[in-house]
Amino acid sequence: MTGITSEAPSRPNVRFRQVGRPLTRTDAPGKVAGRTPYAGDYVMPDMLHMRVVRADVASARLVRLDVSRARALQGVACALTAADLPDRAVSTDIPGQVGRKRLDTGQQILVRERVRYFGEPLALIAAETRDVADHALELVEAELEPIPGVYDPVEAMQPGAPIVTEPDNIVAERRIRKGDVEAGFAEADVIVENTFRTPFQEHAFLEPEVGLAWVDENDVVNIRVSTQVIEHFRPIADAIGVPHNKVRIRGALVGGGFGGKEDLTVEIYLALLARRTGRPVRLEYTREDSFVGHGKRHPFVLTYRTGVTRDGRITALDVRMVADSGAYVFLSPYVLLYALVAAPGPYRVDNLDVFARAVATNNMFTSAFRGFGALQACAAYEQQMDEVAKAIGLDRMELRRRNFLKTGEPMSTGFVPPSAIWTDRCAERAWAALGEPTPARGPIRIGRGIGCYQQSYGRLTFLHDTSEAWVGVEMDGTVVVRSGVTDIGAGQVSALGQIAVEALGTTLDNVVVYNSDSAVTPLAGTTTATRALYMTGNAVKQAAEAVRARLVERAARAFGVAPDDVDMGFNEVFVAERPDRSMPLVELVRICGAEGIHRSELAMFRAPFTDFLDPETGQGQAHPDYAYGAHAVEVAVDVDTGEVEVLKSVAAHDVGQCINPAAVEGQIQGGAQNGQGYALSEEMLYEEGRLITPSFSEYLMPTAMDMPKVECIILESRSGVGPYGAKGIGEPAMTPVAPAIANAVADAIGVRVFEMPITPERIVRALKRRDGTGRLDSPA
Amino acid sequence: MYAPFELEMPGDLAGALDALAAGRDSKTVPIAGGTNLIVDMRAKRERPDRVVALGEVGELRGMDFGAERISIGGRTTVTDLLRSPEVAEAAPSLIESARLFAGLMVRNTATVAGNIACGSPAADLVPPLLSLDADVTLASAAGTRTVPLDEYFLGYKRDVRRPDELITRISWPRLPVPSVNTFYKLARRKGDAITVTGVALTLCAAGGTCTKARIALGAVAPIVLRARQAEALLEGRALTPALIDRAAAAAAAASSPIDDVRASAGYRLHTVEVLTRRLVSRAWDRFDRQGDQGTAASAAVPAHEVTAQRRAGSDGRSA
Ligand SMILES: Cc1cc2nc3c(=O)[nH]c(=O)nc-3n(C[C@H](O)[C@H](O)[C@H](O)COP(=O)(O)OP(=O)(O)OC[C@H]3O[C@@H](n4cnc5c(N)ncnc54)[C@H](O)[C@@H]3O)c2cc1C
Repeated sequence: MTGITSEAPSRPNVRFRQVGRPLTRTDAPGKVAGRTPYAGDYVMPDMLHMRVVRADVASARLVRLDVSRARALQGVACALTAADLPDRAVSTDIPGQVGRKRLDTGQQILVRERVRYFGEPLALIAAETRDVADHALELVEAELEPIPGVYDPVEAMQPGAPIVTEPDNIVAERRIRKGDVEAGFAEADVIVENTFRTPFQEHAFLEPEVGLAWVDENDVVNIRVSTQVIEHFRPIADAIGVPHNKVRIRGALVGGGFGGKEDLTVEIYLALLARRTGRPVRLEYTREDSFVGHGKRHPFVLTYRTGVTRDGRITALDVRMVADSGAYVFLSPYVLLYALVAAPGPYRVDNLDVFARAVATNNMFTSAFRGFGALQACAAYEQQMDEVAKAIGLDRMELRRRNFLKTGEPMSTGFVPPSAIWTDRCAERAWAALGEPTPARGPIRIGRGIGCYQQSYGRLTFLHDTSEAWVGVEMDGTVVVRSGVTDIGAGQVSALGQIAVEALGTTLDNVVVYNSDSAVTPLAGTTTATRALYMTGNAVKQAAEAVRARLVERAARAFGVAPDDVDMGFNEVFVAERPDRSMPLVELVRICGAEGIHRSELAMFRAPFTDFLDPETGQGQAHPDYAYGAHAVEVAVDVDTGEVEVLKSVAAHDVGQCINPAAVEGQIQGGAQNGQGYALSEEMLYEEGRLITPSFSEYLMPTAMDMPKVECIILESRSGVGPYGAKGIGEPAMTPVAPAIANAVADAIGVRVFEMPITPERIVRALKRRDGTGRLDSPA
Repeated sequence: MYAPFELEMPGDLAGALDALAAGRDSKTVPIAGGTNLIVDMRAKRERPDRVVALGEVGELRGMDFGAERISIGGRTTVTDLLRSPEVAEAAPSLIESARLFAGLMVRNTATVAGNIACGSPAADLVPPLLSLDADVTLASAAGTRTVPLDEYFLGYKRDVRRPDELITRISWPRLPVPSVNTFYKLARRKGDAITVTGVALTLCAAGGTCTKARIALGAVAPIVLRARQAEALLEGRALTPALIDRAAAAAAAASSPIDDVRASAGYRLHTVEVLTRRLVSRAWDRFDRQGDQGTAASAAVPAHEVTAQRRAGSDGRSA
């Protein structure tokens, strides 16, 4: 019962009965009533409480680590250091269904000798109570001898820079070479060059990392954890030295992921101490732990050099990118690849040279974050488009119109995306929706900006992504779906339910989806990369349609018509256009049960499998497909104080096909907020690698008071490679927001701030520099 | 999470003062809303042995609106301020501050006395109260005294309050008519943010001259302070743009900000100057326009008009 079903799936419903409607999500009632348990709500008898002891410097040699006083404290069950562990690294590579592993991306579990970033774990404590664990934490003595570190990726590339991990600081290097860039620049009337900087960003999920682990009667380590990726059981097993089938991840509904729970977080620590103590152990990060406990968004330095003709045709583009990978590799090479592929944006650029490097520093390690490198590229290319338009005196929208990539045209890697490219429609709709401009008043200037984007959905095709789902119809006509997919709050599970009940002729209240258990639910792959709907949605659709085909075939015999004439909906099975000839779904299911007709199916959906991009030219296929859209904003800027207020925020995205428009809108609203914070206020400040903004009183996300009403325009090209032509919206919703805001601020004040976040202070500095009215000097 | 401590919950003021007097030898602190103290205890910046909770002390609540003076209890919460039309009339700057104070949950429990007693230069209720010439009443088991708020702070997180004293009341005189009383909080976001620069202003005028000026600056020095030189420049004169510029420069000169994660000292100096200029000239324009008819109640001059309108529009969420 594996693989694609051999039977031909039936035609999908012509008329949607469940899909495309803003139905109340299956996860909503439990959440609203507070009944839904999150990973942190699980407790067990005899459970121990853990804490992680962390380094308080970013670059040092561990001279001495003494946990004896902590061990001696009454109530401490275990204090573990690297000395107690075999010298084994944890793979930080993408845990693929194919289990590929690159050893050189490994991270030490606990510091053995070298501290490479602020907060790197030194020791683990397990105690009878949380208070005792807290106390024990203070009794651990660590002698750390500082080693010169490097905290800037550009400096880290210079000869003589401190090396974070041998042999050198270049973690990854990627290139696209396409057409003839020199000829392209020769053809240009104007060449525009700018360097843009993007910052670290914290995922700031409501629910910090948390988990509970225990060893069961089969010697399996069970871990109940808040994660986006249950497939981590493999690297966990490798790291603790047990077979893969001896680790089981049981997820829970996740209180926000955004990429921050894509890597391992607390799992290995839990697994180690559960095995060592033989007791259940629970570890919940404090907010301060969370700030230093998971990888951040990569800061990028991006230099764009664009050749353009007077009439606005881009003739050549040269892009240099440097990404700060922090102290460990994690997903940097992949993030870099996304940025590389996205470098020209949703524009046709035939002469293209992109050179991208990820560089190690002693900063916090960086990894996945909503937008995954493509977002940083967008932050630069959309600002550059405005600068190019300004340089040739062409309207910003017109420059974009003249260069938009069109359906059927090849993108940066030479690949032709299989779906519709509706950037133009989205951009026009979003721009028009800004309506009448707000009048400027005194020091308050008004500006507008747009960001257009290209963002992949689905994982890199050379990773050979697959997803499995099981769908069955119970004897009373209700539906069960089993799939490993994790639900990180975007309604992933509910969407699968909607797809299953669409195919099986019933309603959303008649389905239960079991998910997120690596031992019991068929593995669906990660909830990352805007892939859950695309991959698992297709798998569920495939499985449900296989079951539907068998039910319909039996019904057709009962009605004496051809299977194509049978339709199902709202728990009735009927002859299409002849509703008088019908039977209840439950009746049909009973017949099938009595006759042994198979009422369930396990399906696997396979994304396109490709080779890696050509290493020299970067040409080939990188992703299954791409999403396109735009975000437009209007801002008010106080030119005296530099304060920015976002007055209007309009998103227009082609999502292919909405499964649940209310959930799509939720993603768009959240993306608008996430991107606004990234553009304007969220800032992680480090001093010699030490985070000095480790709390929400310093790390400032926009509040309800800061957000305008976000207008959502949802377009449906029905052309995507997801179920029913769906694309994806999780990441795209955020990608274009920050450059739209940056462009609006530049439009308002006539000068650009090239570094995000665009703080009031940076605005005042930029204005003073332009006006020659002095600098913001500190008092002598 | 916290170091262990004893909790006392006296039922009246006498009980609270006795508990504080009894605790003179140990580290005993009062707790009101706890929105500063709990944060500090959790971070282990404060490790009290005994905590005296003021939640049941009724004498610390209640507001009095006399003909001459307004007096509010130390346990008045920020939400209490926002719900009071009398406070809106008697202290527009306090309402402007309260509206942008923290978020709803904190406003419901954070108190005026706690805001003063925490001694932070970024305490948002202090510049408005300073601009209103407020007095603070301190009580202990031994007796009661009243000190001008202006003399309350001695230095960064240092004040004249003895550990056995409580702030029982805060009072200020009614504003003359016409006058403008206003506050501007500049922060890195609108909701729930620590102030980068706060400027409170009271301006009174009669017969075309400025009769009284109070300029109080938040978050730009070790304590909330008055820009006395700037005030002196304005008082007794008809204000001109040049004079206002000089006063704004004097306000900046009175500040001694530091660089921190929110802003540089240079930016703070710049904004003290910009905001002082803006608040004073708008207040003065208002007198001009209204021919000295402005009243305290109607005189809350928005410093940032586009923003102010939107904030007013979002009152339902914020207040
Ligand atoms: C999320 C958040 C947001 C915040 N935002 C703001 C903001 O925007 N603006 C701002 O100014 N502050 C803000 N604060 C800080 C805090 O809310 C205020 O300073 C508040 O007014 C403190 O009052 P409280 O009653 O909670 O004081 P507590 O925490 O109970 O006490 C603070 C101090 O005052 C002492 N104290 C309390 N009552 C008395 C009394 N009657 N007599 C003598 N001493 C007393 C205590 O011993 C303690 O030292 C914020 C805090 C949080 C947690």
